[in-house]
Amino acid sequence: VWAASAGRGPNLRVRGVKGRRVPTRRDLAIFGGYVLAAAVYITVGVTTVDFLLSFWTALAYVLVAVWLVPLTVSKIL
Amino acid sequence: VSWAAHDLEPYAIQRHSVLKLAFVPLLLGSYSPDMMSKWFVYGIHIGGWELKARDPAQFHRGWPGLGFTHSLLWGVVIGLLLWKGTGSKIWGISFLVGQWAHALTDTGDTVGTMLFFPWTYHFHLGAWAYAGQTGRFTDAAAYFSGLGAIWDLMFLAYGLYSWRALTGRYFDEEIFPADRSWSFANRWIPQAALLAAYRAAFFYGSSRWIAWTIWAHVVHHFPYDLTWGGPHWVHAAHP
Repeated sequence: VWAASAGRGPNLRVRGVKGRRVPTRRDLAIFGGYVLAAAVYITVGVTTVDFLLSFWTALAYVLVAVWLVPLTVSKIL
Repeated sequence: VSWAAHDLEPYAIQRHSVLKLAFVPLLLGSYSPDMMSKWFVYGIHIGGWELKARDPAQFHRGWPGLGFTHSLLWGVVIGLLLWKGTGSKIWGISFLVGQWAHALTDTGDTVGTMLFFPWTYHFHLGAWAYAGQTGRFTDAAAYFSGLGAIWDLMFLAYGLYSWRALTGRYFDEEIFPADRSWSFANRWIPQAALLAAYRAAFFYGSSRWIAWTIWAHVVHHFPYDLTWGGPHWVHAAHP
């Protein structure tokens, strides 16, 4: 006589973004990309402070650094 | 004056508001009071000419001047115009909330804002020095040496704590459906670029907070003064 095996856990756990307490690896990878982009932005900004003065400059920079460049690189590779 | 707070506050407000808000007009409202006036407060050079207000604090926050742009009534007026002009109630309300956040935040400095304009009394907590009249760079050095920088830092820390509000899923589920302007823009711009644009103000606020702090305290060695009304090494303007 064997003890009944423990029941399997659920195959799928449905949880919305609001309930997620810990970032996924993908979230962290995206965050890492922004941190890298921010490090470059801050370095340029500290040496050339005019770079820090405009939201539009920052918007253009973000679009290039975290969208256009990765998109171009992924298409080339 | 506040620096990064106007970039960061809309994320916290949007996430916790009981009202359904659209992010674009909320951010627009948060920026709007300074849009017409800040360039003339710091001054600009056109050729050999310098255009600058004779009394920057008065021009920026007072009456006569453009101080009414920092009043609650101004938010109502522009919010109503946006509502009627765009036909979108959510745009009007979101602009109003963003503009009110700006007007209330700026009561933190020594000049404060005429919240109940046409009543010209300046509501001010005096927590950090208003130094706009000293020029952009001294103003930056002063702001990032006093309690204003701590106010910004709170929103930066809160934004990182509320990281879900910056995820792609939150954008898809909450931000994008709340405002038709995103789907309109999505006709020409891919959703991934729109997501980056949504995050841009947070990126800008947090990055420039760090950059100005390094500039003021590592490159230039301005002293910190976190006492009420500080930093006291700069001449603070008062109403």
